[in-house]
Amino acid sequence: MYLKAEFREKETAARAILELKANGFGPDALDVFSNEPVEFADGVLDRSSRMSLVVVASALTCCVLTILFVRYTQYNYPLVTGGMPLFSFWSTGVVFYELTMLGAILSSFAWFLWESGLVRRRTPAPVPDVEPGVICLRVRCGEGQEDSAGRQLQQAGATGVQKL
Amino acid sequence: MAIDLDRCTGCQACVAACHAENNLPVSNPEQAAKGRAVHWIRVDRYYEGEFPDVRVKYRPVLCQQCDEAPCEPVCPVYATYKNPEGLNVQVYNRCVGTRYCANNCPYSVRFFNWFDPEWPEPLQLQHNPDVSIREGGVMEKCTFCIQRIKRAEEDGTRDIQPACVQSCPAEAMVFGDLNDSESNVSRLAGSGRSTQLLEELGTKPKVFYLERAK
Amino acid sequence: MDDPVDNPALDTRRDLWQPLQGVSWRYLAVLLPLSLITLWGLTAWGYQLNRGIGVAGIRRPVFWGFYLVNFVFWIGISHAGTLISAILRLTEAEWRKPVTRAAEAITVFALMIGGMFPIVHLGRAWIFYWLFPYPNSRLLWPNFRSPLLWDLTAISTYLIGSSIFLFLPLIPDVAQLARHATGWRRWLYRRLGLGWTGSDREWHALERAMKLMAGIILAVAVSVHTVVAWDFAMAIAPMWHSTIFGPYFVAGAIFSGIAALIVAMAVIRKTMRLEKYLTPHHFNNLAKLLLLMSLLWTYFTVSENLTVWYGNEPREMMVFGARARGTFAPYFWTMVVCNFFVPFVLLGIRKLRSIKTALIASITVLIGMWLERYIIIVPTLSRPRLAAAWGSYSPTWVEISITVATFATMVVLYLSFAKLFPIISIWEFKSHDRVPES
Repeated sequence: MYLKAEFREKETAARAILELKANGFGPDALDVFSNEPVEFADGVLDRSSRMSLVVVASALTCCVLTILFVRYTQYNYPLVTGGMPLFSFWSTGVVFYELTMLGAILSSFAWFLWESGLVRRRTPAPVPDVEPGVICLRVRCGEGQEDSAGRQLQQAGATGVQKL
Repeated sequence: MAIDLDRCTGCQACVAACHAENNLPVSNPEQAAKGRAVHWIRVDRYYEGEFPDVRVKYRPVLCQQCDEAPCEPVCPVYATYKNPEGLNVQVYNRCVGTRYCANNCPYSVRFFNWFDPEWPEPLQLQHNPDVSIREGGVMEKCTFCIQRIKRAEEDGTRDIQPACVQSCPAEAMVFGDLNDSESNVSRLAGSGRSTQLLEELGTKPKVFYLERAK
Repeated sequence: MDDPVDNPALDTRRDLWQPLQGVSWRYLAVLLPLSLITLWGLTAWGYQLNRGIGVAGIRRPVFWGFYLVNFVFWIGISHAGTLISAILRLTEAEWRKPVTRAAEAITVFALMIGGMFPIVHLGRAWIFYWLFPYPNSRLLWPNFRSPLLWDLTAISTYLIGSSIFLFLPLIPDVAQLARHATGWRRWLYRRLGLGWTGSDREWHALERAMKLMAGIILAVAVSVHTVVAWDFAMAIAPMWHSTIFGPYFVAGAIFSGIAALIVAMAVIRKTMRLEKYLTPHHFNNLAKLLLLMSLLWTYFTVSENLTVWYGNEPREMMVFGARARGTFAPYFWTMVVCNFFVPFVLLGIRKLRSIKTALIASITVLIGMWLERYIIIVPTLSRPRLAAAWGSYSPTWVEISITVATFATMVVLYLSFAKLFPIISIWEFKSHDRVPES
């Protein structure tokens, strides 16, 4: 079951998160909802990301595929233009560059959709309604943990602790 | 091709013959004033000196069929390329009309069909059936009468003359195979009077202009 | 429940949502005539498609005219977003925050408009898709060596990238709007919101994606206008075949982009009552950037023209003479005044720098930059190497209609966008970060 707690300051929210983590709540059980991004200090609620790796890998793949494609097309129906060689890296280099960037763009968008959880099958967890300027912490509690969690949140300075 | 500028009288018979042979669209005064007239071969006139010592020089300019044509690499759809015979061919079906080739041609020998072609009566009856009619939006230029070259290949004859060469009354134009070192055109091209237009650009044109060096 | 008066974030949101509600008669009074102009432009294009491209004023030897000028101009305008979103984001300039979405919207719409022109100027526009590589019955592929193909890939990439870059930060705002909207808007916002809940996972992913995209978009934008420049520079026409064109065009693009941005911002500031958010401080910074780009543009222009003039190469001098002293001289010198003297005086003298003068300077810069594209394209084509082929160019009503219609279209698209989505990105603009009014 889920508890939600509202905070006005990000420092109090950070404190609450650290306390909950000290008491056995993993980062998977904690979610922070807000209308603007909240920047916690390092170590409070880190989420690992593979986005850079994915983007660079996709870009390189696109680059290689493009080079192969252009080479294939220019030998497939060979036509001599202006005395240039059939496959000329420099005169087609711009195309490689652009399609590499396109690969990076599309992969960053796609990975964003995946990593944010926007396209994954939604778990039936309830989502709190958040007013602008408010930081809402949602805690997934196991059996019997609600009371202790609720008390910790109150102590940490939450302005409204409720069950979701 | 070799063109002897010392023989050329500027009569423009070549221009007229090209029009007849290649179904060139006929312009009208209004469009011609806008610079839309099409002449695959044109005779450029240059005046030298002051009256009464004026000299006029004529130079027929047609597609130079460059070996390293600047018009070819810039066409996005391969509508112009060098065929195995060494001709710079224009493929009308493929052209989408970006006109980049015309901008890049330093000899300004490319012409665009701004509208669908029209001929005043009764010229539409004298079309050459060997040459296709180009629709509006397509680039065209001198082909060295490729239809005559193809016909000669089919018939097995060796003597090919594009319409302009055939019609020159001063016999100033010679056409032939530059690869054949025995041919007239090779001999003339290698002579001391042989020059090329805009040679410094490195386009390697295949039209040689013969003129007496001053 | 919090006291609404005490929550500045709610005030901000209310202010920024205010323009989205309802349609005033002033809005319609602007939108409808401009829509009609857009339709007129489309009619002109339809006429051109029907009759043949000869209804435009282009001719031998000036095979490229207004359409290419517009093409380069609008692609240049599209660099507004790149500068603000990407460059300023990467340098972490805080003042850019209210301006990012306005800039990115300009980018996307300018690209859409600019990207139409390669199709409009084609002789056989209905087969424009032959430029795309797809297996076909002719077994032919497009020529990747052609700068026009580079254009195609570059502009497609930039358009896709900019659209994504505009859409990404829109998701949180749209999700918030969805909660408070009704009717068809609610459906639209929910669809676009992609189920955004505002969780920290989503925020982290978004910010990481935005940071990566900013760098990628910057790289793409520089290459896009370089590639557009290379449409000309790769040709051996006199005064086109210049190595400076790549950087010249990129600088000119950012220059005109900032000008367009200042115009857009000045207009929305007044019409949407956003004086608190788009402060004189923002305009001051943008004006300084405009002045900087004006100096950079001047430097490039002087470099190009001085080297040509000093080198005295006959064919290039023919073009140069036509530009500086001949038929094109009025346009050339107007361009210099618009792009250098006016911004220098109005924005360089601190006492004169204000929102109003920034607006005036920006409009003159836009005129000047349009003239610059004209000056680059037409004189060179009208003075080819062989003098027998020299010619002139005058546009017809078709080209003028389409040109005017593109400006109208831009405003229509922009107004529609500003009516549907908050033009200032609410979440990027935390209320306690608001810059004090100066």
